[in-house]
Formats: sequence, C-alpha cells, structure tokens
Amino acid sequence: MNYNELFLATLPETVLELAALLVLIVDLGLVRNAGPRYRAVVAAFFGVAGCAVALWAVSIAPALHFGSTLLLTVGGTAGVAQCSILILTGITLLLLVDCVFSRNPGEYVAVVLMAAAGGLLIAAAQDLLVIFTGLELLSVSLYILAAFAKKSAASAESSLKYYLFGGMAAAFLLFGFSYLYGLSASTSLPQVVLGVSVASLNGGVALVSVALVMIAVGLGFKVAAVPFHFWAPDTYEGAPAPAAAFIASVSKVASFALLISIGTALVPGHGAAQSWSLILAVLAAASMIFGNVAALAQTSVRRLVAYSAIAHAGYILLGLAYFEPSGRNAQAILYYILTYGLTTIGAFGVISAVERATGNDSIGNFAGLHRRNPVLAAVLLVLFLSLAGIPPLVGFWAKFNLFAAVLMVGGGAAPFALVALAVAFSAVSLFYYLQVLKSAYVAAPAAETKIKAGPVTMLVLIVIALAVLGCGCFPAYLQDWIAGFYL
Amino acid sequence: MIQETALIFTPQTAASAITGNLWLIPALPIVASGIIALLKQKRRVPAAALAIGSLGISLLIAIAAFAHVLAGWMANHAVRETFNFSWIQVGTSSVDLGWVLDPLSAVMLVMVCFVGLLIFIYSVGYMAHDENFTRFFCFLSLFAGGMLGVVIANSILLLFMSWEIVGLTSYLLIGFWYHKPSAAAAAKKAFVTTRVGDIFFLLGIVWLFSSTGTLLFYSHGAGSLESLALSNLLTQHAGLGLSAATAIGLLIFAGAAGKSGQVPLHVWLPDAMEGPTPVSALIHAATMVAAGVYLIARVYPLMSAGSLAGGTTVALTVVTWVGAATAVFAALIAVAQNDIKRILAYSTVSQLGYMMAGLGLGGVAVGFFHLITHAFFKALLFMGAGSVIHGVHEEQDIRHMGGLNAKMKTTFVTYGIGMLALCGFPLVFSGFWSKDGILEAAHNGAIKGPFYMLAFGALLTAFYMTRQVSYVFFGNKRAHHEAHESPKVMTMPLAILAFFAIALSAIGTPAWPWFKSFLNNEAAPFEFAGFAEPGLASLMLLSSCIVLVGIGLGWMIYGNKQQDAHAKDALEKALGPIWTLLANRFYVDELYGVTVIALYKGLAILTDFFDRCVWGGIVALVAWVFGLCAKINRFLDETFINGGFDKGCEQLSTGGGILSNVESGRAQTYLRYLAVGMIVLVAILLWSARP
Repeated sequence: MNYNELFLATLPETVLELAALLVLIVDLGLVRNAGPRYRAVVAAFFGVAGCAVALWAVSIAPALHFGSTLLLTVGGTAGVAQCSILILTGITLLLLVDCVFSRNPGEYVAVVLMAAAGGLLIAAAQDLLVIFTGLELLSVSLYILAAFAKKSAASAESSLKYYLFGGMAAAFLLFGFSYLYGLSASTSLPQVVLGVSVASLNGGVALVSVALVMIAVGLGFKVAAVPFHFWAPDTYEGAPAPAAAFIASVSKVASFALLISIGTALVPGHGAAQSWSLILAVLAAASMIFGNVAALAQTSVRRLVAYSAIAHAGYILLGLAYFEPSGRNAQAILYYILTYGLTTIGAFGVISAVERATGNDSIGNFAGLHRRNPVLAAVLLVLFLSLAGIPPLVGFWAKFNLFAAVLMVGGGAAPFALVALAVAFSAVSLFYYLQVLKSAYVAAPAAETKIKAGPVTMLVLIVIALAVLGCGCFPAYLQDWIAGFYL
Repeated sequence: MIQETALIFTPQTAASAITGNLWLIPALPIVASGIIALLKQKRRVPAAALAIGSLGISLLIAIAAFAHVLAGWMANHAVRETFNFSWIQVGTSSVDLGWVLDPLSAVMLVMVCFVGLLIFIYSVGYMAHDENFTRFFCFLSLFAGGMLGVVIANSILLLFMSWEIVGLTSYLLIGFWYHKPSAAAAAKKAFVTTRVGDIFFLLGIVWLFSSTGTLLFYSHGAGSLESLALSNLLTQHAGLGLSAATAIGLLIFAGAAGKSGQVPLHVWLPDAMEGPTPVSALIHAATMVAAGVYLIARVYPLMSAGSLAGGTTVALTVVTWVGAATAVFAALIAVAQNDIKRILAYSTVSQLGYMMAGLGLGGVAVGFFHLITHAFFKALLFMGAGSVIHGVHEEQDIRHMGGLNAKMKTTFVTYGIGMLALCGFPLVFSGFWSKDGILEAAHNGAIKGPFYMLAFGALLTAFYMTRQVSYVFFGNKRAHHEAHESPKVMTMPLAILAFFAIALSAIGTPAWPWFKSFLNNEAAPFEFAGFAEPGLASLMLLSSCIVLVGIGLGWMIYGNKQQDAHAKDALEKALGPIWTLLANRFYVDELYGVTVIALYKGLAILTDFFDRCVWGGIVALVAWVFGLCAKINRFLDETFINGGFDKGCEQLSTGGGILSNVESGRAQTYLRYLAVGMIVLVAILLWSARP
C-alpha cells in the first residue's frame, strides 16, 4: 500500500471530506453575511455536488489491500450501499433548503458529508478496525446532527440520549471486537471468522457467544433493533427533520451493509453462523412485534415513524438471520433498505412541512391535510401505503423479495413461522399508517389556511413519490440495477 | 383457376422502432383519463379534447403500425414483431410482459382506435347535457386504453390486466347513470357475470404458465403459442381424454364467452343497454364484446393445436357449437323485443355467436373479418339508435316511434345501410361477405349442424331487423313528441361508419380475399375466378335468398302498416305462448334467479352468520389484546423512560451539570435495558448450544 493507492481507494470518502471543507470555507467565508436561506441553498448545492462527484468516484475506486489483507472492498454489496448512501444523502441535503433550523447551514452540511463518508467506509470495510473507525465517524457526526437545532430543548435532549446510548453500544461493540481479535489474532473479517470457527470447535463456544452478542448489541443499536432501540423514538422526535431523515435512512443503509458483510463472511451452517443467526432471529422477532405494537398507540407521527422503523429493522434482520451468501438475500436487503430509506426521507419531508405550519407533529395536526395541501397529502398517501407494503408501490416488492429470499434459504419451520409473523404484523402496521392517512383525508381540517412547503421540498417529495410508484409498477428495473453490481 | 402462389413469406420478428413504441397506443388514453380524473367537473372542453386528442394520436400511431405491417407483407414478410421485457424478477423465474405487432393486432388496433374516435366525437353531442360529462370521458378514455392494451398484449398476463381494466370500465360505464336502480343493477350484473368467465380464464392462465413456464405468446421460439410449447402441451394429459392444450383452450374460451356474451353467460349484455348509448356502441357492439373473439383469435394456435390438415379439435368444436347455439338463441329472442337497443343487444349476442362459429370453423380470418365489419355496422346501428332516441326525446320503445323516415333523413339512410349490412344484404354490403365466409366455412365442415343453425339465424336476423326498421321509421307516427334530427356532431360519425359498412366489402370478397391473405401471410391475387370455386356460387345464392326471404317476411308482416302503439304484435297473435317465451328471453334470468343466485344467497346468509358471531368475536378479542399491549407499552414509555429523561433534561437546563445527571441515575435505566438484553441473548445462545 502506498499513498497513491490509498488515495484512489478512498477517493469517494476523500471527495466528501473535501466537499465538507469547501462548504465550510464558502459558507463561513464568502457568503457569511448573506441571509440564512441563501446560505442554506449554497451549502446544500455544494453538498449535493460533492455527493454527485463521490458517486462517480465510487465507480472508479479500486479495492484497498494492506499486504494481503483486504481492507476496503468494491462492487457487490459495498457498491450498492455506497451508491445508496450518496443518493440518499443528496436528497436529505435538498430537504435542508426549505427547512432552516440553524444559523450555520454550512456546518450542518459539512457534518452530514462527514457522516456520509463514515457510511461509505463502513459499507466497504472488511477489517474490524476500519469498521470501527467508520462507525465512530458516522455516529459522532449523527450525535452532532441530532443536536443541531441549538435553540430547541427537544433537539438537545434527543442528541444527548442518542449519544449516551450510542457510546455505551460502541463500547460493547469494541469489547466484542477485542474478544474476536483475541480468538483469531487478526482484524480481517474472513480471518476472524476462520479463527472463531476454530475457537468454537476447541471449546470456546461461550466466549464466541458473548463476543457475537456484544457485536449484536453494538449493531443492534445502530439499526434500532429491540431491545437496543430506546434512543430511536426520542431522537426521531427531537432531531431536526433533515437530520432525523438522515439518521433514519443513510445510517441504516450503512449499518445493514455492514451486517451483510458479516453475514457473507460467516460460513453457513457452522457453529458461529448458527449462533449469529439465532441472535438476529430473536432481535428480528422482538423488533417486529414490539415496533408494530408500540406504533399503534402513538399520537406523534414522528414517534410513529420511529416505531415503524424499528419494525422495518425487524423485517430486514429476518433477512439477515436466514442468510445465504450467494447474493440473493443481500440484494433483497439492499433493495429493501434503499427503498425504505427513500420513503422515510419523503415521510420526514411531509412531517416537517406540516410541523412548521401547525406547530407540532401530532396526528391531529394532519387533519384535513387533503384540503390544506392536496399534493402533500397525496405524497403522504403514497409513502405510507408503500411503507405498509401495499402494491403497486415499491414497499410491496421490497417485502415480497425479502420474505421470498428468507423462505428460499430453507431451514425448517422457524423461518417460515417468522415470515408468517412478519406478514401478520405488516397487516397490523397498516392500522397505524391508515390512522394518519385517515386524519389527512377524512377528518375535518382544524384550520382552513393552506399548508405551504418550499418549492425544493415539494419537488423532492413529488420525485420521491413518483419513484416509489414507478419502481412499484416496474420492480425489475431497480432489481436489475442492484444485481448489476454483483456481476 | 387459382394459380398456386409460389411466394414464401419469411418471418420478420426483429422489433422495429414502431413496435418498441407500440405501448404508447394504450398508454396515451390511460394517461389522458388520469388527467381528466383530476379536472374539475365543469371543465368539459379540456376533458373532451384530451380524450379525443389522445385517442386521435393513438389512431395515428396505430395507422403507422398498420402501414409498417402492410409494408412488410407487401415485401413478403410474415410480420410478427415483439417487444418483451421482464416485469418482476423472483429468483430465477421472471414475470414477463410485452407487446406484439402482427397483422391481427394491427388490424384490430386501427379498428378500435377509429371506431372509438368516432364514438368519442359522437359522445360530445350525445352527452352534451349531462352534468357528469367530464367523468364520462374519463371512463371512456380509460376503457379505450384497456381495450388497446388487450389488443397489443404479447403476454397473457398483460392481456388479463387490460382485460380487467376493460371489465372495470364496462361496469363504471353501464352504471354511469347510477341513480337509476336498473342501471346500477345492470352494471353489477355485467361485472358479476363476466367474472364467472374470468375465473376460468385465470385458471387457464395459471395452467398455461405452469406447464409452459412462460407468459409470453411469442418469444423467438420460447413463447407459449409457439410450436415447442404447443407440442409439449399436447403430450400432457389433463384427464377425461383431453390434452392440456385442449383443457387450457376451453378454460380460456370460458373467459372469452363471458366477455363476448356467449350462451349461457349472455345474460348481462342486453341489460348493459342501461348505459348511455355511446357506451353501448363502443363497448357492447364494437370493442369490448369483440375482446373475447379477439382473445380466441390470439390464442388460435393453442385452440387448433393437434388438428390434422383440414381437421378440427375438441376446443374448436366446442367454440363452434357454442357460437352457433348463441347465434340462433339470441336471434330468436331478438324477434320478440320491443326496446330498440335491446333488439340490437340481442343481435350483437347473435353476431358474436357467428364470429365464434367462424373462428371455430374457418380459422382466424373468417371470424375476424366478421368482427371487423360487425364493429363498423353495429356501432353505426347503435349510434343510429342513439340518434333516434335523442330525436324522440329518450323514448326507447319501438312501438312508440314510427314514421321517422321523413323527420330524420340522415339517421334513416345511415341506419338503413347498417341494417342491410347486418342482415347481410347481397353484394354491396360488407356484412354479406363476412357472413357468407362463415356460412361457407360451416358448409365445408364435416358436421352440417352448425351450418343449418347459422343459416336459420341469418333468416331470423333479416326478419327482426326488418321488423325493427318498419316499426321505427315507417308506418304512422306514434311518438309522443315531435321528432327532430340530431346535430351534425352525431350524424357525421354515422355517415362515416355507413361508408365503411359498405366499403369494407371490397377487401373480403372471394375475388380478392385481401383481408384473409393479409392475416394469413399469403399473397392476395385479384381474380374473378375466386367466384368459380365449386359450390360457392350456389351458396351465395342460397344465403342471398335467405336474407331476401327474411326481409320479405318482415316487410309483409310489419311493413308500412298503420299500427297502434298498444296493439298486440302481429306475430304475438300468431305464435301465442311461444311469443311469450321469446319475449321473456327464454326465462334464463329467472332460471338463474332460482338456482345459482338462490344458492349464493343461502351461502351468504350462512357466512354472514359465521362472520358476525364467530370470526367477529375472535377479531374483537385480538384487537382488544393488542390495544391493551400498546397502552401498557406507551405507559411504560412515557412514565419511566421519557418521564425520567425529561426530568433529567429539566435539571440539565436549570443549571445542573451533565455529569451529575448522568450519575444521578437517568442513564442507568438505559444501561439496565441494554445489559438485560445482552444477558438474555447470551442465555438464549448458551441454552440453544447446550449439548
């Protein structure tokens, strides 16, 4: 490895960091005295441009080796996840334009770009140390983002909870990693898996189990799986909407990409793989049940989305629990998380527009949205029905592909029962999504004034809704695009 | 003597630009309908303009597609261009959609677009005073899109989806005046009855997919209608001595019979006349009911699979007999009806029987030619009837009309042309040649039964149409109001259709069987020797005689008589109970009422009981349990977790240090959960890994 190789292999991350610095320079230097909205537009523009260049860089960056050890991989899961991260980051940055919650939009964009760089690292990482570095880069950035509305107590509260919980989870993760290192004397993922297999044969089952559980705790926190989800409702509720959208989408993509890497590295049918599968299945079942049931009683739409996110994490964990490394599961999971991220960003866009006009995000404030802004209501309809998995929207295909992939792995009655549970709880989820939609379409509006959203937000939301509808009507295109990375 | 044509048609299957863009033809009206749906009720002009404009562009593309096929045909290519793509990918299997451009779809596209466009224009006049004008054009456009989708489909799934759009819009349009209970009931009846056929159709689709592994009709040798798949289907046995090909063919035919009103699923079609007249013309004369016939023409390779040269198959025999029975059955009923549109409706059922019989006996070209000519003259008749109804102030009973020939000249002349075409009046009318083709095919068949039935049907057709025209246009005036001619926007389409009702005969005579050659990918020689085929001249003479006798009989009984609106029908006196039987449509509706519908009512009561008392209770219990869980969870959440942290943050903002708060226990709640979660997971793992 020399600096040239390092530079080329980390070009996407480098591009993002450079863009972050550029945004800071421009925002704090050139346009310092302009209005906040103008600064937000400039910052968002540079941020989106950075994402676009990084998207190009992803396509040319080679894999990174240290000696014979693979540090960063390219293509496949890493490729899809990196592209998804950059696209979703770009979209969340666009939401910033009409949602000025800070006097320093440049700082916000810079932190978002750094978080995205962390996400890119995680998605491609094949080494425990790189994984941990990427995770910390992402997590620390997210803590900052959650607290970005400095005048809002809720924002500070959510960030602090997120930070405390995240710090502890990271400690568990690092502890788990250190056990793995102790068992295998290596930090490279394939070697670690090998070492763990040998260790579990030699009577180290208990140690391996504890290590795996600790890692599951750390990653379960990132994806908000029950019982490591407590931060999610508060953070989703308190963080500024674009930051919440970022946390709900981009950070999930990166974390699930990491889980896929681990799943791919494990040898199926082996002791460690079976333990890992069992842990994830338990987390999946708990998340599906708890997330869906808890969402039923929410009156705050943000909390509702948070609990539904927990439930969705449960479905995806199911795909990871019954995993086969040929790429079918990985593709189904990436399809799910990409479309889910897109839908959630849209949902947060609608929520933040309603919030700004009515004061808060209680379901009652969505009453009569259909009359107060029909386009916004239609977007919400499409997105929520997609989240519930109603055809012909993309959420249906995401669930369908995922569950089909789980069932195709086989493995007896357990996956079948869990898929049945997931389908049943998807039906339950329809109830709370429809509660919001019922309020938006059926209930009488509390006020006759129009709810206005900025032009950029409207455009982004409409594009997202059309994409959700279009990908739902023609599911093969997105599938082919994802499968193209695995050739 | 007909010379042997030495020309060999080479297959042309590579998709050209026009095939790639064929999807625009159905997509444009569907998009237009979507936009119209968003318009306000009072925006009449944009609604009509969008509908007519989109279909007009579709017509232009359809004509371009037709010209493309024609050019290929003239260069001796058997054009069958497909464009297929994978819609859904599940593992290794995929659900494919696609469209096909061949002579069959090209002809049908032009016909549907053209007749549809004329009917759209006519509707502007007919529906001018309706308050739901915009909604009407929304449905009409959606219907046209669905119908065109059926036509271009190269995938049986795409065909079925479009087929269902057509079914839905048919329901919406029949029940367009839903405030009339009869219209609402008719819409429901149409939907439910066609559904019976559709169930079988769906079964056929599933079976076809599972045994051939493809949904595509043509896919460069891998499609379900291509020789490889067909020979496979022939070797599979489906029980009862049938091959899978026959069984699937019969299931698909059941779907076609529902849509095309074949006995015993014909009951919905006459009731469908409750819809606005343009709907009757568009859906129940020219296009939708023809969808069933088109479907059989499309899957004809499947229906005829396994037949030896000149022979027939079980599936085709069934098609033939059902068609012939429908032709006679409906014609008999039509004799004794008094509603101007109902007569036409039964005549449509009867003619659809002819088309089916034509497909069964003589192949695609014979039945399909009748479909095309019928579409023109039947649309003409329906729109003429609409013009009459419009002219006599919404009166539909022919006994209350009479003497309209002087008041409504254009309508009378065009209606007369349509009527003669339907009767099959010799030589200049298209209906003569298309019906003659079917009769000829029936005559050449091994069993003569269908031939006699169809010939008898032709006699009846001539008779009841003469009866209708006599009642409506001749005799004394019995209308309550003063009749008036309809506006130009309505009569112009009539004139255009009347022109085609005659002109189309030019492409289907035995001297120049252009249409047949075009569909069959053969050269079309122009030779008068075509008339000299053995037996043809005598057959033509016979069918001419039948028509003339029918018209003569009708005129003898009804022609130009001074009639009283309330007098008994001349035939009613002569036939007595038979007339009652016919007038009551053979009591088929009543029969269904006491058998199928009674059974379903019983089942409905039973399931209703179960639903309320058994399942309802279980569902309520589950809902209650979930509600309780959610409440408990929320309580825990807000009281312990949130409450605790909110308090913590309050302290934080009132000046306490961060550390003191963390240490004062708020974070411990979190850690406790985290630790408990971890310990539980480890416990589960160790327990599961125990030896």
